[in-house]
Amino acid sequence: MGFLDALLGGKKKLKAPAPDRLFAMTTAQVAFETSLGLKHRDVAGIVFQPLATADFNSIVTETNDLLRGAAEDTGTTVESADDEFGYRWMILRDVDFDDLVVSLNLVSTQLQGSGYGDRILAAVFVFEESGKRVYFIYNFKRGAYYPFVPVGRQERDTEHELRLMAQVGTELPLEQEIDRRLPLWEIPL
Amino acid sequence: MARETRTAFARDTGLQTRMLLTMFLLGLLYAAFVGALLYAGVGAVLMVVIVGGLALAQLFTSDKLALASVGAKEVTPAQAPGLHALIERLCIQADLPKPKICVADTPVPNAFAMGRSQKKAVVCATTGLMNTLSPSELEGVMAHELSHVKNRDVLVMTVASFFATIASMISQFGLFFGGGFGGGGGDDEDGGLPFLAIILISFIVYAISFVLILALSRYREFSADRGAALVTGRPSALSSALVKIQNQMEHTPQQDLRAAGNMNAFFIVPTSVKSAVQTVFSTHPAMEKRLARLQQLEQQLQGTAV
Repeated sequence: MGFLDALLGGKKKLKAPAPDRLFAMTTAQVAFETSLGLKHRDVAGIVFQPLATADFNSIVTETNDLLRGAAEDTGTTVESADDEFGYRWMILRDVDFDDLVVSLNLVSTQLQGSGYGDRILAAVFVFEESGKRVYFIYNFKRGAYYPFVPVGRQERDTEHELRLMAQVGTELPLEQEIDRRLPLWEIPL
Repeated sequence: MARETRTAFARDTGLQTRMLLTMFLLGLLYAAFVGALLYAGVGAVLMVVIVGGLALAQLFTSDKLALASVGAKEVTPAQAPGLHALIERLCIQADLPKPKICVADTPVPNAFAMGRSQKKAVVCATTGLMNTLSPSELEGVMAHELSHVKNRDVLVMTVASFFATIASMISQFGLFFGGGFGGGGGDDEDGGLPFLAIILISFIVYAISFVLILALSRYREFSADRGAALVTGRPSALSSALVKIQNQMEHTPQQDLRAAGNMNAFFIVPTSVKSAVQTVFSTHPAMEKRLARLQQLEQQLQGTAV
């Protein structure tokens, strides 16, 4: 944010999404599985703020229809869920990991193309490491990934997360600022 | 990737223009004041150094003092899981690092933000606020506070108050010492202003800057309301929160209000409801005006704006 923005009380728009690095996960996932023993689950999600407007609702319906249409080729299934914080999740299921990323990208491009890109909070990938659930969160506004390992009610295994950050290395564009690796509790995946 | 083609909310150019004008007038006033001081040849350098030091001290300690004065304590995610989770999500949305989160144990429903930079930010909610509001209303209020952080309002207001503080200090010096250190020497004859005139000028400077700073504060409030609507996408939730807070305050015992009185500039709704009616002399815009602006935003969002 520039000096003038600070002086005049901030930008009048939310930050637009950073250049898309979502697809970095497609290649990283292969390395995850072979060298880190991180096994992906057949589910991924994208979470956004639903606006209570007719225009926004029609975009969401359209996106859902597009996903269902594409499902004939990819076999990706989609369901929606609203969480207790008032955010909406689109939950995608597919055994083919590449198709999951493609479907997530379809949702984000659809929202961005209609001018609602700033409503997207994050995309979430689910992995398993020796029976433990490990999430990778993609922050669209920052264009960066970070690992998130929740344990119990609103506690996270920071040590595990930092270890993952080091292991992942250059495979993914990672969030470098620790106070921006914000948790997402109650992930419905 | 194509850039964003449209946005749900339009720009508020009028608000920005007025804010800029206010800041310009403030700057002009200070320039005139400093000029007068230099012309008079008082120990201006020394005075500015001292007062500048005080202003820095204020900037670096005001958050701790403010938190202490309302009895706010930092809470861990385990102590306030809902508040933490709500703010974390807003931070992703507003592209902010996570601030420190405090809770003040008082029935007065209110919230404020402190800290000189985004990294050092503190947001505080009262237990009264958390008990009174629904989750989406609480989200609106916390987004308002995060907008203050994003807009660096504490820094802007501290800097704006800096020169007014100098002026008032000189006025007070004048009252206490009655011009004792100004007269006597031969300096006055070199075309310097008489000491009494300087006191008079500083009085005027302070009076005018006071009103201007209040105006600036009100504009920043509008901006933060707008920012909150933008971050949450729910202008009406903030409206209903403001109405609830207002109603609750009118029914809260006077003692609590007085205890929180000196924190007014940083609260989401000023605690002295009566004085808020006199718009020129209040730190916050009139409630009806804030609600009207939020209503406008909701209409823009719904695409029904005229």
